[in-house]
Amino acid sequence: MNGRQAADGTGRRILARLAPGPANWRVVGVTILAVAAALGLSALLIAVTGGSPVASVQALFQGSMADPTAWSSTLLFTAPLLLVALGVCVSARSGFFNLGQEGQVLIGAMAATWVALRLAIPGPVLLVVTFLVAALAAGAWAGLSSLMYRFRGVNVVVSTMLMTFLAQQLVAYMVTTPWLLQESRIGTGTVSPQSNKVPANALLGSVGEYPNLQLNAGLLLALATAVAVAVVLTRTRWGFRLKMVGLNPVTAESAGVRVAALGGFALAVSGALAGLAGAVLLTSPVGTNRLQAGISNNIGWDGLLVALVARNRPLVAIPVAVLFGVLRSGGGFLAATGVPPFLVDVVKALLVLAFVAPPVVMNLISRRSTGRAGRIVSTPARVPEEAVA
Amino acid sequence: MTLTERTEQPAGTRRPALRLRGIRKAYGPVVACDAVDLTVHTGEIHGLLGENGAGKSTLMKILLGLVPRDDGLILHHGRPVAIASPHEAMALGLGMVHQHFSLIGPLTVWENVILGDSGRIDRAEACAQVETIGKRYGLPVDPTTRVDRLSAGERQRVELIKCLRRDPSVLILDEPTSVLTQAESAELFTVLRRLVQTEERAVILISHKLAEITTATDRVTVLRRGRVVFEARTRQTSPQELARQMVGREVSLRAEGAALGLGALPVDGPEGTAAAEPATAPDPAVPATPTTTSEPAALRLRDVTVTVGGITVLDQLNLDVRAGEIVGLYGVEGNGQATLGDLLCGLVVPAAGTVELAGAPVDLTRPGALHRAGLGIVPEDRHRSGVVLDMSVAENLAMKSLGDVSGRMLLSRRKMHAVAQRLAAEFNIVTPSMDTPVRSLSGGNQQRVVLAREMSANPAVLVAAQPTRGLDVGAIEDMYQRLNRAAADGVAVLLISTELEEVMALASRIAVISAGRITGVLPTREATAERLGMLVGGVTG
Repeated sequence: MNGRQAADGTGRRILARLAPGPANWRVVGVTILAVAAALGLSALLIAVTGGSPVASVQALFQGSMADPTAWSSTLLFTAPLLLVALGVCVSARSGFFNLGQEGQVLIGAMAATWVALRLAIPGPVLLVVTFLVAALAAGAWAGLSSLMYRFRGVNVVVSTMLMTFLAQQLVAYMVTTPWLLQESRIGTGTVSPQSNKVPANALLGSVGEYPNLQLNAGLLLALATAVAVAVVLTRTRWGFRLKMVGLNPVTAESAGVRVAALGGFALAVSGALAGLAGAVLLTSPVGTNRLQAGISNNIGWDGLLVALVARNRPLVAIPVAVLFGVLRSGGGFLAATGVPPFLVDVVKALLVLAFVAPPVVMNLISRRSTGRAGRIVSTPARVPEEAVA
Repeated sequence: MTLTERTEQPAGTRRPALRLRGIRKAYGPVVACDAVDLTVHTGEIHGLLGENGAGKSTLMKILLGLVPRDDGLILHHGRPVAIASPHEAMALGLGMVHQHFSLIGPLTVWENVILGDSGRIDRAEACAQVETIGKRYGLPVDPTTRVDRLSAGERQRVELIKCLRRDPSVLILDEPTSVLTQAESAELFTVLRRLVQTEERAVILISHKLAEITTATDRVTVLRRGRVVFEARTRQTSPQELARQMVGREVSLRAEGAALGLGALPVDGPEGTAAAEPATAPDPAVPATPTTTSEPAALRLRDVTVTVGGITVLDQLNLDVRAGEIVGLYGVEGNGQATLGDLLCGLVVPAAGTVELAGAPVDLTRPGALHRAGLGIVPEDRHRSGVVLDMSVAENLAMKSLGDVSGRMLLSRRKMHAVAQRLAAEFNIVTPSMDTPVRSLSGGNQQRVVLAREMSANPAVLVAAQPTRGLDVGAIEDMYQRLNRAAADGVAVLLISTELEEVMALASRIAVISAGRITGVLPTREATAERLGMLVGGVTG
């Protein structure tokens, strides 16, 4: 009767704990302390591995924010990160947790490549179609997980995540198979496992003319989407129902919401947003404008972290995505100064923990101090009793 | 401590088994227990009476070591004890049977009984123990049966055996009869009586049912708002007196009296065991007094059958509710009421049968179809299917009629607030603001939110499932008035309840459900304890 709730119970409990609550200054204070501790620990790590913390911070700053060129690079990373994070916001609201962004980004990029290279559509229409198809393909890819759940009861969290590995294999196959998407052989030269460069009319251009600063259209797309997602989630009937489903699917169902359909659709929307991120990665100057097996470059996983830190609030995700963009662009610069690149990942992980842990930890502390009453195991007699009546 | 160590005390000069002195416990600014004194003697059943939130459960949690006390002294057989942990309470011989059973369904009876023991498991020994204890106290139960195959009464026996096996000196029972038939309740009290009289144990019986307290206890302590307001020998007091002490004012209303279990049940007349209901199978739901009106029943359940996991929970259930009447669906918990509630919430689709509103069958596979057809429901478990706890009062009030609070595209927060303000005023919802999450409202106000939302849709049928469970007397009274008013306004009201007094006070007809079937329908004035008892037991005639 209600197996669905049992299946996603844990996720929902996590969701309830991460749900945006009233501003709590104690949480803010603890977060600041935690971030300071994370930075201190990072500095220590860099010093221990033989680097200079001061020089590292300088490099991080140089590479990400010091000048318009650095900012350009930061913002190029921000756009896809934000798009992925927005998708996470949508799916987390509904309680149908999507952890397969990395794969959905790849599928989006793959579909975008196929459209850009294979469909002879003239002018900027090609760009529009490219993005639409990328969104549709990644949405359908995520939708597969909701179908698996609906007809076979496969856990959504597990299936979306495992589908990522499938997507990676699929893209690797596409770019190594000549009649699919591998680049064409010119003369007797060798071919790499990548696609051809997408045509110029499928590339995202810069907006406005600024000296040294590139504002890519992808960022505008991401920002506009953030506002749209925020409005849809908080101000529309659909967003209202989504919130109901996420917080109490049983009440939602009795209020006339098609819980399974709505949740499945939210999952598809979340995948579609990740697909858009894939298209941005392909068509903006952040990469080589070719499909490669590594094109997603962990943007999907990092986008999840952005949403985690922003606690599924679309507008809060904007500055967080910028922060993660800083870490990415600065991190690349940092590696050039001799700090091992994996250390940047460690720093990133520490920062995420510092942002995410305080509310949860404080929640646990307040539970402990209000008594241990919650630990009594009580099985209501009436639930199983129906079965023997 | 064994039985032989406890020496027989001459009556009258009994030593107290347990004395609580000045117990205080505050949760932040809320004082749950304030200078509570309680003395429980061996050989007596001590009633602990109080409304919801009076501090009964906090006091018992302190006694069981589940909650640390702020202040106060606990003397066990004259010795001061700390009781800092549940283990300590167990070692002192304090055992409790909780209102909601703490049994594990897929395990057998003997497995449940020895759960928590350490050391080697000896199946034969455990089974023998269960049988010995069962025989000694008159609690027969097969130790090798799975618990989820047992009835509520049998489960209670298992809980009792579990407690008695540890040889408790003080046994605490929290609302033990809420899942029992009247016959089973009587049986339980016989067992308790035997326990205290022949074995010099003490029993604390927590209840809000006055009838139970007056028949089963020797002494009674009444708690109100965390304080002891009354203490007496049960023989020297009266239900009216206890009700007055519990509520803190004179109880006059019939409905309120019913809420407290004061409702005087008509005793069987000379005809006594007259056939409860002519068994007109296959349709036993034909009303005893067929008020032949031309218009169809506002709500008609026709041959509704629901199976869950291969077990038939509702078995060809037939029931009519007409406009302007309150029909009480009475029965012991666990006879299909919860599933019927889910069905009327739109959460369960029947395997067979139809639900008709005003003569038109409703397609239950369509979400929200019942609501659109004009059925409002106050569900049994409001936290599960009535409200979204983490959404605001305004959102909870609007969630079934989003169209009414929307502009062309977006939800209008202004409209939502206006509707919420209006409903809060109309239904006396006490809340700091309309943006407060429903989680932080009291149970009574949460229930009012549900009722206000359902009534705001102007339903033709209102289903109220256990609508007063967990509410305090004021809120119960309010709920009764609103149900009566709804019926007076022409709404067909179906009241699903396990409280006989509630059904007797409100309903004009009583339908009895047993094992998923309606075993009979009778007008309230013809309902006697005996006739209802037979129907509850599944005897159709």
